[in-house]
Amino acid sequence: MSHTPETPCVAPDVDETRRRLLFGASVLPVVAGSGLTVAAQPAQAALKTSARIVIAGSGLGGLAIANRLSRELDGAKITIIDRKEIHNYQPGYTLVATGIWPVGKVSDRNADLVPAGVEWVREMVAEFDPEANAVVTDSGKRIEYDYLVVATGLHLDFAQIEGMDVAAIGTNGLGCVYPSPEAAQATWMAMDRFRQQGGHALMTLPATPLKCAGAPLKMTFMIADRLKQAGTRAASKIDFHSALGNIFSVPRINEEVLRRWAELDIPVTFNSKLVAVDIGSRRATVTSPEGERTEIDYDFIHVVPPMRAPDSVKNSPLSWKEGGFAAGGWLEVDPKTLRHRRFPNVFGIGDINGTAKGKTAATVKKSAPLVAQHLIEVIAGREPSLVFDGYTSCPLLLREGSALLIEFDYENNLTPSLPMIDPLQDSYFAWVMKYRLLKPAYMAVAKGRV
Amino acid sequence: MYEIWLTLNILFELGMQYLPAVIGTVVLWLALMIFAATRPGAGWKKAIAPAFVIGIIATAITFFITPAMTKSSFANMGYWVDWMNLFFYAAAFGAVAAALAWPIAASLRRTA
Repeated sequence: MSHTPETPCVAPDVDETRRRLLFGASVLPVVAGSGLTVAAQPAQAALKTSARIVIAGSGLGGLAIANRLSRELDGAKITIIDRKEIHNYQPGYTLVATGIWPVGKVSDRNADLVPAGVEWVREMVAEFDPEANAVVTDSGKRIEYDYLVVATGLHLDFAQIEGMDVAAIGTNGLGCVYPSPEAAQATWMAMDRFRQQGGHALMTLPATPLKCAGAPLKMTFMIADRLKQAGTRAASKIDFHSALGNIFSVPRINEEVLRRWAELDIPVTFNSKLVAVDIGSRRATVTSPEGERTEIDYDFIHVVPPMRAPDSVKNSPLSWKEGGFAAGGWLEVDPKTLRHRRFPNVFGIGDINGTAKGKTAATVKKSAPLVAQHLIEVIAGREPSLVFDGYTSCPLLLREGSALLIEFDYENNLTPSLPMIDPLQDSYFAWVMKYRLLKPAYMAVAKGRV
Repeated sequence: MYEIWLTLNILFELGMQYLPAVIGTVVLWLALMIFAATRPGAGWKKAIAPAFVIGIIATAITFFITPAMTKSSFANMGYWVDWMNLFFYAAAFGAVAAALAWPIAASLRRTA
């Protein structure tokens, strides 16, 4: 079996080929600057093996790995464990939650993305037992493996916010983009009602690592834009409360967003953590590091929950036991190889990884080929040969029609894919990337083709 | 090479999203080509110029309507990269229009 991905369509005739190439050439500059580049993997023969590989999770990372391994290994027994039947394109949630996309655009069938020949166990991993090379599902089924890929995603810890009720999102000015497509749609309903008359919008940021850490910033930019469009911005107030001493981990981006918010009259209160919300009364409670509690009345609130590893990982031997990632129970992987630091037959991909950066689809896009190759190398008796730089990308919505295309690495370097891309420039191109081109790229990643 | 492969994959996935339109366009083009090829004296060379003009017109129209069709506007064109990408996007549609116009023009401009 060749590593070369399958031809994506039937063989076209000559003129159609020319037309496609012309179209492709026209899109190439757009795509080349998308921030989704990785080094092309060389074609290689499939490795014969009888290895048993378990992939815990069927999100973007799990599917990308499953598709790659099923193509690049000959004879392996690959098992995906995940109950979900619907695959949600989470990068589209901010578009749904700000009224740009209809909710139907973010959901696909998982069955269409799980590769043939891979066993799909429609259960959830309840327990990891890496000493015994086994996982136990929530029905009690014990599945042994030779190699494990942890791709469980993360847990939205709403329980840390007293009074928070996910089912109430969309009512009483309560918004939250994270939980589901339905929550994103309900958030837009709440935002749309709010913008009609304006008022006080309270935007929040917790202190934990976040998936799509740009989402709270996008929601803030977009609510300002929606108020402006509705003619109610002057009668409104937007406050951003960050539980941290910044709003984004990359200093250059942090400074840039704060500068823009100052121009948009969006003040930021640092070290102010949302701890409670009274949904019916539209009143939030924040605390300072000293424990001083302050109540804030609002008309619209965007709640961003603290995030941590799912209990199955957090309570297992796989999680960090010390250091900054221990509290969240994140997976203890080497940031350069994404291989577990204590269990060498375990790899991690996606949001679950306890690394300094990288809880975005763009990170999965760049790290999936690396994790697949490292796993194959380990199966072949070699050491992992590639180094992951922590690449992350965030098309940061500024307003309807414009965005920033931000790319960075573990070291907080801005790493535009092409030199012509200015990550701090308001850009229609970045907007089109987010609005139209990134979901097709995402689907190609899930299918293990790019 | 990777960027080309990525581009082709994005185009493929986009094509899957708009499959009826893609198939319809291809079928229409093939039908036009067959129709023109079977007409006696089809003026293929004479048709190049009008097809090119049609392509230019389609490019211009696409160029002006695309920002609005993508929920944006010319006011959001931040720098030359935006303009370049908009132009190439419009030119791609212009090329399709020219390809469709070519057999039609060839049928209309038959050689004596």
